[in-house]
Amino acid sequence: MAKQLGMVIDANACIDCKGCMVACKVANQVPGDNWRNWIKDGAMDRSAKSKKRMVFQPGNCMQCDKPTCVTACPTGATYKSKADGVVMINRDLCIGCGQCIKACPYGARYRNEKLKVADKCDFCSNRREVGLEPACVSTCPTKARAFGDLNDPSSPAGKLYAAQKEEAVQVVNAQSDTDPNIYYLGAPGDKHWPVKAQMPSAFTFWKNVADPGVKVLMGLMGVGVLAMLGKQLVMKNDAPEEHHGEDGHE
Amino acid sequence: MADSYRPALSRRGFLKLAGAAGAAAALGGGGLSASKPAQAAGGLRPGFESKFTVCDMCFNKCSAIARVQGGVVQKLDPNPKFLKSRGMLCARGNAGVEQVYSRDRLKYPLLRVGERGEGKFKRISWDEALDIAAEKMKSIGERYTRCGFMFMAGSDMQSSFVHRFAEAYGSYNTLSHESMCLIAGTRAFLDTFGEVPIPDMLYTKYVVMVGANRFESLVTPDSIDLMTAMNNGAKLVVLDPRYTKTAAKADEWFAIRPRTDMAFMLALAHVLIKEKLYDRKFVGEKTYGIEQLAKHVEPCTPQWASEQCDIPAEDIARIARELAKAAPAAMVYPGRRSSNYTDSTQIRRSYAIVNALLGNWDRPGGLTAARKVGLSGGVPFEPPFYENNPEDRIDAGRAKLMFPEEGSFKLARDAVIAGKPYPVKGWFTYHTNPMQTAANRQKTIKMINDMEFMISMDIQMSDTAWMADLVLPSQTYLERQDPCTAQQGSSACACVVMRDPVVAPLYESKPVFWVMQQIARRIGLGEHFDFTIEQFREKQLSGLQGAMDALKRDGVYYNPSKLYGVYEGKIYKTKSHKIELFNSRYAEMGLDPMPVYTPPKAGGYDRFRLVVGRNAVITQSSSQNNSLLVKFQPTNHLWIHPDPAKEMGIKDGDWVWVKGPHGKQRLQAKVTHQTRPDTVYMATGFGVLSTGLKNIYGEGACIAEVLNDDFDGISGNMAMHETWVSVGREAA
Repeated sequence: MAKQLGMVIDANACIDCKGCMVACKVANQVPGDNWRNWIKDGAMDRSAKSKKRMVFQPGNCMQCDKPTCVTACPTGATYKSKADGVVMINRDLCIGCGQCIKACPYGARYRNEKLKVADKCDFCSNRREVGLEPACVSTCPTKARAFGDLNDPSSPAGKLYAAQKEEAVQVVNAQSDTDPNIYYLGAPGDKHWPVKAQMPSAFTFWKNVADPGVKVLMGLMGVGVLAMLGKQLVMKNDAPEEHHGEDGHE
Repeated sequence: MADSYRPALSRRGFLKLAGAAGAAAALGGGGLSASKPAQAAGGLRPGFESKFTVCDMCFNKCSAIARVQGGVVQKLDPNPKFLKSRGMLCARGNAGVEQVYSRDRLKYPLLRVGERGEGKFKRISWDEALDIAAEKMKSIGERYTRCGFMFMAGSDMQSSFVHRFAEAYGSYNTLSHESMCLIAGTRAFLDTFGEVPIPDMLYTKYVVMVGANRFESLVTPDSIDLMTAMNNGAKLVVLDPRYTKTAAKADEWFAIRPRTDMAFMLALAHVLIKEKLYDRKFVGEKTYGIEQLAKHVEPCTPQWASEQCDIPAEDIARIARELAKAAPAAMVYPGRRSSNYTDSTQIRRSYAIVNALLGNWDRPGGLTAARKVGLSGGVPFEPPFYENNPEDRIDAGRAKLMFPEEGSFKLARDAVIAGKPYPVKGWFTYHTNPMQTAANRQKTIKMINDMEFMISMDIQMSDTAWMADLVLPSQTYLERQDPCTAQQGSSACACVVMRDPVVAPLYESKPVFWVMQQIARRIGLGEHFDFTIEQFREKQLSGLQGAMDALKRDGVYYNPSKLYGVYEGKIYKTKSHKIELFNSRYAEMGLDPMPVYTPPKAGGYDRFRLVVGRNAVITQSSSQNNSLLVKFQPTNHLWIHPDPAKEMGIKDGDWVWVKGPHGKQRLQAKVTHQTRPDTVYMATGFGVLSTGLKNIYGEGACIAEVLNDDFDGISGNMAMHETWVSVGREAA
């Protein structure tokens, strides 16, 4: 089976310490208020006296098998890597139009404040290239995140995936089921947060066109030319993104 | 919304579909960018260096690996060989890069030119700074005796050099942060077991955690081991007036009424003894005073405790039985910070006594003895004798059993202000910030204003540095060479770590060792600092063959030794040579030989008790201004329960005032069920005076301004939870 990098996350082991978030921010030089990963706060269940009450749910780009972001991208800058199944962004091709950001049900994408292009988790491709684990994985105090090839039972994630298939779940929005490659063990907590993917209306006709060559043509024919030329000047900073910085961590 | 979990089992079906779509997308995308590594701008590139360091973001001192490229620390990673942290690095550890590159670093020595606390300084050279420091130390020492200069150093691998300097200089008055943290608990366990235990969290089956918050206030390896133990089936019961993240992950949480922990513990003891559930063989052989204890806790029924603690009697009895069933792999977690109440030593004694009844001492999953790794003391020295010095520390005799090596910040401060028994007119602080961490900030300001000269060394303009006359820029831990330090860690082994610089120091920053050496030379004490850090480390490691090689290779040196049963055939270091349920030394001194419960007074108009607590992104008051961490906690809020909030017309986010016995602050309310109706909470380290802390200046309120500065009568530990406050809505 083709290699598919993914994560199996034990949300119950997460203590919401923010280690993964800081590690990611530093490792990937994620600027300002942009984040590549998150920890979703659970609600306090005051009714239950004797059970684990609150689940903190860590997450990041789900590296989906049916990535709506790839479909939404007008230039082919976003693609799913054949080598390892990670959804990547070619920054040279990205025009910063923000369509992929709206198309992601998980709010995993943001417009990089500094680079003015779309950005998101790529499982620390820079670190993997030099033989290091993704920053969030190696730093996690309780090792809540297992990473690796889901189709290789000898990888940490693959092993858990194979062993816990009955228990592991994906968090999906039924209207935009992108078949994510992040799995959660047991009860992962809040499941109502993924939104319906907003696909660009101008490209509806092309939404099933997977050939990026055609997309590039599309982009060049339309606003693409202008946007590519001036992408860092004309775009405002208020790209529509999910707000991941939770408050109340006192 | 029609969201749902989808079982992983269905993945097989999707794989086919996704395989096709994914492959097509990948083919095209990959083809277009074949010559470019996509998305790989920034971050590490091949050719970086990996260098061991030791984290300094809190007291845990986790070994870490700095990834350095182009002379810049790009990333800090955990050291997987460092067992004590279980190969992790927390949020603060990851934010360590910001210590070096912060815009708020102190860059060169500063001399005060305005009024104290006004923040007007001028840049001076190191030579000038050292000459001034030496002259002031000399002159104050001559006029007020050498004990007239006080020294205070925080938890740091070079702090011992500050204490060494104080000894050579001739001052007994050294302080640390510990008397605002843990010394009551230390006292209690020392006075029960003869030493301070290391909990064997990894192998425990049952933990009662009271007055501790291990999933937010991280302690290695306890925090990590607790999660592992729970994943292996251990049960966690948390008693806390606040719904902390530890409470959130616990099997059971009880919002205990503050200051009633002892009643709960005495009731546990009552049930364990009455139902003969305690380890009778262990208690018979190894403890002293079971008869007295049995009599003492006879009236302490679960029903009685229930009324004190707001915890149902049947739950108290059940927890006692469950503990006994899991024993000896069960524990009342000893905890760490115990700067809570005026009888905190006795409260923690009650924790220790329940542990003794469980027979968990020196056994798997219980409390283990400390093990020596064998580090030697470094370069020896003979401090000179100063004839005209007073007899004792300035805070001596004010608490019955204070640790003279730690002192009591609270009692020393009172003594300095009173000028009794003798004047103290100079102060040197390093890597510590009592302006924010000590209760009653106005008193700290008063003490400083009563001083002639204050020197403060830090990496940023803390509120304490802000009050100083001379401010010295310290190197951060990533720029420094430090001595070795020994660590304890239950099943994680005793170990040694050390620090070498991973990058060149920025600006004119210097290590405190160098500062002490330079001042010592100027006042004729140079001989006591006539060595290098390398020579000091050589002496430290002289008894440990191969240690330096291991440190260079792995970043850590272990000297494994027996973990359990180390007390077999040995006596306990107590007066009776046994574990003391009944402390005969206390009895002789007129202290209660067994913990005696006194009910908390009811709040009157000042009806809320203010409690102190941490989370995983703040360390005392040193990390709040970190540009990475401030994103998670940009300010602090007053946690208040919805019932009293409603009564007072306070809504979430409203501005409120909170008034303690010595000061009043203003901040926004967080209306939440996560605290009891009679208890309010706010995070430490905000409401700063220093404009040099740009990320947090003007944010939130200062808890030190509001907290009452009571103290534990036995240890001299500050007692911060003896604070009743009134709260009100700010007029719009």
